[in-house]
Amino acid sequence: MSAAKRVQQWATFARSWHIFDCKWQDPYESANIIKKYLMGLHKPIYHPMNDCGDVVVAINSRDIALRGDEWRTRAYFHHTGYPGGASWTLAWELHNKDPTMIIKKAVYRAMKGNLQRRHTMQRLFIYPGENVPEDVLQNVTNQIRQIRLVPTRLDQIPEEVTKTYPKVMDYPEDYVLK
Amino acid sequence: MAGLVRAGFSFAKTAIFSTSVRSIATTNPLHLREIHERVEGSTKIIEAVNVPSPRTELLIRAENLPTQDAAASTSEKPCYMCALGLDVKHTDVLIVSQFVRSDGCMLPRRITGLCRRQQKKMGKLVAMAQKAGLMINLTPSYCKKDPKKRKDHKKFNTYFDERTIFMKKIPKPVDKFKR
Repeated sequence: MSAAKRVQQWATFARSWHIFDCKWQDPYESANIIKKYLMGLHKPIYHPMNDCGDVVVAINSRDIALRGDEWRTRAYFHHTGYPGGASWTLAWELHNKDPTMIIKKAVYRAMKGNLQRRHTMQRLFIYPGENVPEDVLQNVTNQIRQIRLVPTRLDQIPEEVTKTYPKVMDYPEDYVLK
Repeated sequence: MAGLVRAGFSFAKTAIFSTSVRSIATTNPLHLREIHERVEGSTKIIEAVNVPSPRTELLIRAENLPTQDAAASTSEKPCYMCALGLDVKHTDVLIVSQFVRSDGCMLPRRITGLCRRQQKKMGKLVAMAQKAGLMINLTPSYCKKDPKKRKDHKKFNTYFDERTIFMKKIPKPVDKFKR
């Protein structure tokens, strides 16, 4: 094997590290994206018996967003195995206890349940905030694009922009300004 | 006897409610105006000054846009939001905030001048933006401004799907991973 071919072989099978910002992202939508990178589905050389999955670092998992009333309607089920050992934890209760658990469970559930799944999950690092250890962050070479736009709050927009922004609604003549 | 009681009741009702609702004014009190106070010597003058609407200059209407459609000549005129045909999301706070009072409540239809459907839609968008905590400077004084300081499930980020606005029953999100 020539030197160039050897380098190409290393480059092909090297694990690359991706970072994903979970801020205002739906965990169940982003689990589909993260899954692709974890399993290596985005690579042309993918094969189920080919260990070509990448590493994903998910940050800001505390700031995930669920749709509508799902924080209080989605329940996570657990059974201890003993009679009466069933328990249902609501999504907001689980997120209070561990802000990384929802995204972890979503990615775990998005993948097919085979022997490889637990090993693939080892390559997912989740951090509740922006504080990522330096030795993890220095490996990152790619950022995964977010699915949803992070919304801007009205109080974060400067005053003159709010005032000079084109208006749609005008007050009628007989309106008392409040 | 019953008639007498009813007549007495209606008299009492008019006596109570008509006085509380009635407002006496020498001039038309409802105008786009501000109240100014100034002191001249020993007299204090309180006057209401008509002010031009701050929005008139920046107003955008479909009929003023260069790309005007031929559909405008039909008999039934659409309301200004229908005519503009904007796809407003609840995250477009600069548009949604034009339809609220200073305490964040949706303005009624007699003030917004929208059609019924658009009024309903804008009202829901306002509610969505408030629940998502995107307009925290337009809230009542007793409101916990920062969404992170709210209770239980309300303190976490929530997003909404605008397609659910006119649905009778909101379907649960499809669980693609269910086996």
